[in-house]
Amino acid sequence: MKDWLTRAGMVCLGLIVLVALASVVNLAGDPDEIVGPRLAPPGPGYWLGTDNLGRSMLPRIMEGIATTLLLSSVAVLVTAALSAVLGIVAGYRGGVVNELIMRLVEVLYSFPAIVLAILVAAVFGPGQLAALASIVLVTIPLMTRLVRAAAVGVAQRDYVTAAIISGARLPRILGRHLLPNVAGTIAVQVTYALSVGIAVEGGLSFLGFGVQPPQASLGVLIQQGTTYMTAAPWMITGPGVVFVVAVLAINVVGDGLRDRFEPRQARSLV
Amino acid sequence: MTALLEVRDLAVEYDSGERRVRALDGADLTVAAGETIGIVGESGSGKSTLGSAVGRLLPSTANRVTGDVWLAGERVFDLPPAGIRRLRRERLGFVFQDPIASLDPTMRVGKQLKLVLGSKGDPLSHLDRVRLANPGRVARMYPHQLSGGMAQRVALAIAMACQPRLLIADEPTAALDAQVREEVLEVVFSVAAEAGTSIVWLSHDLTAVARRCSRVAVMYGGRVVEDGPAADVLGQPAHPYTAALARSAPAMASLGDRLSPVPGRPPVLAEASHGCAFEPRCPYAEERCAKERPELHVVRTQEALCHRATELVTAS
Repeated sequence: MKDWLTRAGMVCLGLIVLVALASVVNLAGDPDEIVGPRLAPPGPGYWLGTDNLGRSMLPRIMEGIATTLLLSSVAVLVTAALSAVLGIVAGYRGGVVNELIMRLVEVLYSFPAIVLAILVAAVFGPGQLAALASIVLVTIPLMTRLVRAAAVGVAQRDYVTAAIISGARLPRILGRHLLPNVAGTIAVQVTYALSVGIAVEGGLSFLGFGVQPPQASLGVLIQQGTTYMTAAPWMITGPGVVFVVAVLAINVVGDGLRDRFEPRQARSLV
Repeated sequence: MTALLEVRDLAVEYDSGERRVRALDGADLTVAAGETIGIVGESGSGKSTLGSAVGRLLPSTANRVTGDVWLAGERVFDLPPAGIRRLRRERLGFVFQDPIASLDPTMRVGKQLKLVLGSKGDPLSHLDRVRLANPGRVARMYPHQLSGGMAQRVALAIAMACQPRLLIADEPTAALDAQVREEVLEVVFSVAAEAGTSIVWLSHDLTAVARRCSRVAVMYGGRVVEDGPAADVLGQPAHPYTAALARSAPAMASLGDRLSPVPGRPPVLAEASHGCAFEPRCPYAEERCAKERPELHVVRTQEALCHRATELVTAS
């Protein structure tokens, strides 16, 4: 039943990535070039209208997608790497190490995402780095907790004991046995974290703490669009729709991955 | 120390915060090089804890109260981390109850064997040694593609890869189909015999163990209550518990006999037992059985932890 949904999500996600790639080579034109009158409705030469400076919306939205997607992806990869290490070590070693890591992570968890993001922006100064660090800090607690939970289960399995008996050192046990067996959990969480990342970037840039104009990101575009919402609704419609579709598509793909990697009932009958 | 494995007065407690369970209550065991010994006991008798303790594999909730374990002349609990790793790698092999779960599901069989072997040795020859047909094909398979019997052979190949001195098999056939059980056991014992490896086979099946092993040790309430040659322990038990266990085994009964189960429940100790742990279920119990911990009595070829072992044997 959900199969077509997952597939539709993947198609949407694929299109979004393609658009992001196209924007790198300025396929639809220079996003910073002034091509027509200000706040012009969609028309030839600027198919999605122009913004308050007369820049064409289409290349700006494409650049916005690329910026947001790249920023979120890099941040989520950083999160995945850190969470994998922290979660696996906490889950395998237990005891004091576990307490230390998990309490630290819970402190981060206790902040609302946007408050944490503003705090980070205040420390780093507004910009891409602040947005990246915010996404990492917002997504790391949940992923670390789930990786740890999976690692706790794997650590008690016989093949880990067998590896210990065969004289394996800690790096081999963690890298060769724990990591591959929690990789499915990490993959699922990466997709969810990506949608959170896009939302955090949007929120932060909307508030002016993230990506700085003239560079476009979905957050920046939506912020600019709200100012002219009544006069030029096309300025907010495009970025808004893309934003919603991206977050939805990623979540749907995440659900599909979860059903695949973490079936509620094991298929094996042994 | 001439014995390969020596366990002396080992007591281990599990502490789960609100509840404390004494899994081992002064267990003694000696295994000579090349010997095959079966350790028989009900669930909760402490046999798995004993097996784990030999490799210092007790979970962090377990706590060694007294006693020591010597393996190949080394005190297992005193070794530094590098030392215990070397001891496990060179001296010890484990075979688990669930063969599929003892293999990493994310790795091909050949790769897992290679990890254990290191650079030396050819995985295929080790698969061949445990009599797997078509080792090349098996090496390319993932654990979920193996049958239970095949997986247990692979697990054995991995356990025996470094020619350990001691192989601990924790109910190695309990999860297998009846018809492959004997085959797998045959392979376990013959591979171990070729390598000169001692076997400690943990089981609840007295008769099955007695058929394969030269010696049998019976565990009850965290202690080894009887220890002797397999045929004698099974044929002329010196401890009332062993006798009760033998009477309850279907394989021992002749046609028309009623099986007599051991009455009562096995004990769950919270602290060191004050007397004999079997006393509440024992038909021969007398007053001192509840008050004094039984000492070792030598009866014929066996050693038994029972106050009345000598008189009961002479009486019968």
